[in-house]
Amino acid sequence: MFPNLKSVDPMSRRSLLEHAARTMLGVTVLPGAMAFAADTAKDAKDARKAQAKAKKDAASDGSSSAGGTAKHVIFLYMSGAMTHLDTFDLKPGRETQGDTKGISTKVAGMQFGETLPELAKLAGELAVIRSLHTETGDHEGGRYLLRTSYKEIASIRHPGMGAWALKVLGRQNRTLPDNILIGGEARHPGAGFLEPAFTPVPIGDPNAGLQNTVTPKYLTDASFEKRLELIDKFDAGFRKKYPQKQVEAYSEFYRQANQLVHSEELKAFDLNQEKAEVRDKYGRDQFGQGCLLARRLVEHNVRFIEISLGGWDMHVDIYQTDKLPKVAGTLDRAASVLISDLKEKGLLKNTLVVLATEFGRTPRINQNGGRDHHPGAFSGFMAGGGIKGGRFYGASDKDGFSAEEDDVTIGDFNATIGHALGLPLTKEFFSKSGRPFKVAHDGKPIMALFS
Amino acid sequence: MVHRQSLTRVWAIVCFVSLLGVAPVLAQGNKGKTPPKKPEPPVHIPERKVKLTPINSASRPKALASASKVDELMEANYKKFNVTPNPTASDEQFLRRVYLDLVGTIPTQKQVRQFTLNTDSEKRSKLIDVLLSQEGYSSNFYNYWADILRLKDNQLTNNVPGRPYCEWVKECLETNKPYDEFVYEMLTAEGKVWDNPAAGYILRDSGMPLDAMNNTVRVFLGTQIGCAQCHNHPFDRWTQKEFYEMAAFTFGTATRRGGADKKFGGGNVVNKLRDEMKKVDDKFDGGGKYNRFLIGNLFEVYDNGAKLVLPHDYQYDDGKPKQQVAAKAIFGPPATIEKGVSPRITFAKWLTSPQNPRFAKTIANRLWKRSFGVGLIEPVDDMKDESKPENPELMDFLTSEMVRLKFDLKEYLRIVCNTKAYQRDSTHAEVNASDEYHFPGPLLRRMTAEQVWDSFITLAVTKPDEYQKEPARVEAKLLNIDLTKATAQVIYDHSKELSSPEIKKSRDARNKPYSYKGLLLVRASELPNPQPPGHFLRQFGQSDREAIEVSSEDGSVPQVLQMFNGPITHMLLEPESLMYKTVTAEKSSEAKVEVIFQSILARRPTPPERQAALAEIKAHGDAGYGNVIWALVNTREFLFVQ
Repeated sequence: MFPNLKSVDPMSRRSLLEHAARTMLGVTVLPGAMAFAADTAKDAKDARKAQAKAKKDAASDGSSSAGGTAKHVIFLYMSGAMTHLDTFDLKPGRETQGDTKGISTKVAGMQFGETLPELAKLAGELAVIRSLHTETGDHEGGRYLLRTSYKEIASIRHPGMGAWALKVLGRQNRTLPDNILIGGEARHPGAGFLEPAFTPVPIGDPNAGLQNTVTPKYLTDASFEKRLELIDKFDAGFRKKYPQKQVEAYSEFYRQANQLVHSEELKAFDLNQEKAEVRDKYGRDQFGQGCLLARRLVEHNVRFIEISLGGWDMHVDIYQTDKLPKVAGTLDRAASVLISDLKEKGLLKNTLVVLATEFGRTPRINQNGGRDHHPGAFSGFMAGGGIKGGRFYGASDKDGFSAEEDDVTIGDFNATIGHALGLPLTKEFFSKSGRPFKVAHDGKPIMALFS
Repeated sequence: MVHRQSLTRVWAIVCFVSLLGVAPVLAQGNKGKTPPKKPEPPVHIPERKVKLTPINSASRPKALASASKVDELMEANYKKFNVTPNPTASDEQFLRRVYLDLVGTIPTQKQVRQFTLNTDSEKRSKLIDVLLSQEGYSSNFYNYWADILRLKDNQLTNNVPGRPYCEWVKECLETNKPYDEFVYEMLTAEGKVWDNPAAGYILRDSGMPLDAMNNTVRVFLGTQIGCAQCHNHPFDRWTQKEFYEMAAFTFGTATRRGGADKKFGGGNVVNKLRDEMKKVDDKFDGGGKYNRFLIGNLFEVYDNGAKLVLPHDYQYDDGKPKQQVAAKAIFGPPATIEKGVSPRITFAKWLTSPQNPRFAKTIANRLWKRSFGVGLIEPVDDMKDESKPENPELMDFLTSEMVRLKFDLKEYLRIVCNTKAYQRDSTHAEVNASDEYHFPGPLLRRMTAEQVWDSFITLAVTKPDEYQKEPARVEAKLLNIDLTKATAQVIYDHSKELSSPEIKKSRDARNKPYSYKGLLLVRASELPNPQPPGHFLRQFGQSDREAIEVSSEDGSVPQVLQMFNGPITHMLLEPESLMYKTVTAEKSSEAKVEVIFQSILARRPTPPERQAALAEIKAHGDAGYGNVIWALVNTREFLFVQ
């Protein structure tokens, strides 16, 4: 079927492989996937067209299309619910501030918790939102809502923001996956009801990068191709018998995997390409290295990267050295280096860096010296991507119980990300069952952050 | 058994020169050149005695009668909804499904051949009994409960290891402890996790008394009251008051002693010992080095009688802020607290009682879902008053069976697996989550992460259930310290012993024969769990055990890469693997192809498949077998449970 592939030049070899992947493994049955299998020029053109169309849709929303300049999003997810009162929403003089002391930042009048000295120096870049609130105080419900803007229900799965971006804007990177999830999160809503092609590719350990990308040396490409062909032959009966989405979804994964294996850009995932000092600067922990990987991926034009930092669920002894000081310290070091690095490389204006969490923690310190779940008020920040930093937006009440001023829902928060990316917020998208959904569930973008 | 040394030695040759068939000759040649090593003195490898409770074969007729009753109720339901049930599954399909569902792995080629050649008309129900009596049952259901109970080997809570509790759960499955007792013991346990491992359940949510109640009601009663923690439930009838009344049952259960607890005889025992430690260990800076002794031993479950009050901002008319709440059950017969009885005991009795309207029903529905892919009530952990089972008569019958069986889960599964309904072909067409499913047969499901992994182990290793992880007692006897009398010297000695060369040697000796390219080739339940994020198991969706049931059966690119290029797939081509041995034991290429298909897909090849495989072998010689094996484990048919 194929001539000796070793003798052809790399470019046509790639197109041959892509052709092979398209015609085998059932890729052709997935109409959504076809656009991505096309050549580079077409990818770029499609992406431009999609972007222009999205802009037009966004403009017809009535939401100004002038705000967002983001081509990339780095979403820093504080897993377990980050305490707002000890980080970005201090209550000086109130008992609810606990043992935390405030420190001044680069911006007059802005105070952060003492565990965030490096971010304090970068306050000029950060728009800190202190009036987030939800109704759900359980982690999974909160995580799901944060990522999708919808409440979790049994009958449908909603897409995450990365999947929405890919759906609307098309693929930005020609070979690397455009939606990446770094860290150990076991369950992510992924692409929801959208095409499986938009599912974030999970990278468990940033130090290991994308694993198993090297074809074993004893295989020539030709016999690798033969094997793909064999899979297809052996799988044909099963696929015909079960024409189900969960079965066909694998076609897209096979196709992407095959494309990746042959990609020159794989080195984006290899942190060993960075100097040891740079790696140290970010912190040699998973989150630090995850932030470094995110920066590399942005440099390689990847659209959406989420990184999680766990350990925020501090019900017991919140001020013990291995709790708040440790976790906040990890965040402070990595996030500050990430933002300054992006800025230095001129990438910050096109990259929206978001810090978010599922809910806040109780203002009152509990009997175990910790703080419990508290959805009434919590904090997050945005930087870059057209956001004007150096300020607080919204406020909680005097003890941090409830959002009091300019309250922001998760829908509003995600709409702001959507606006930065130029996503249409009022347009309806339909699930297979015919139900309409919107990018941020009717949230209103915080336009004030863009001016 | 795969031996690391022989594997690595042969690996290079196999990889670079050729695949199946040629390697043994080369390997043999190589063997002669290796100088003989001096035998090392034997290392003691502590083991845990496994006591399996087999199924009682005498009660089979009773189980079969119940299965028929289930089928009657299902037939009536098919009529009601005008549904044509799927035809009976082939022996091969049934075999693979029941292996995966009950013992968590695909069958071996030998098991496939024996079963398909067996002409006994009762072979299916006999096989069910055999599988329910095997070690694989506890291994498989350990993975199931680990996902629900968020079992973590390393840390249960602040400096408390999870191992004793995890091991206890596994043992309960091995001895088939009745489910109501299993739950009752967890809810009522007292003491430290080493002395009473069931206490791990309450310690898992240490410091979160309200969330703990929320989790307990969700897991065991299939009901979500969590929203009512902060306000009246928006989608269900629960009020915040009712949530607090439930939480009041267990609010007086503490999980941690303070360092200054009077039990320790005055002063702060942690500070005192920490100071003394500095004298014994001159390198100790007063930091966290000994916390697993000093802090870990503060954690114990005991009743302190604390009273729960409504929140300070309580906003409803049925109570006042900070008003004390009396314990009250949300549904079912009242749970009256008798004098001298701890509210927690009263609660545990109420929860696990056959009269509780949701306890037996929840577990009956959960295990139905485990067998069919979807519950009679969905979601299984969010029942509401108005939730109507797809087949109410069947749900009632299954619930009453659960009670009749005194919560014997093996007996219950025996009934489910013996139904005609379970033994039907799985449904071919797409089933949407929003459609009501009338159970014409089981759903097609992707294997769980643990099932994929364990199936690979079955293909690779001859005695997959042989390996056992280090018993919890090895560490427990060193970590469990009585802080009322412990001295700094004792803690120092124990700490040293925990990292002693003897323990390390013993661990190495335990793992070495099962290690391959940095991976331990043993059952998922015997690996440290959860595995770290990059591991095969996590890539395929093993839960991180941070939240209830967050394992995932979704596909992903890293999974495909793992299957294409990862060591696990290529391990099957190694001369030491069972797969390799099975193939090379056959003479003709036809027979070789046949055993490859039976090993991986539990069926024989179709004529076109046979033809394709033989053509591959003809074109590539022995390497062609490797290609066929590689291609078959990369099919969707391998990954799915039909």
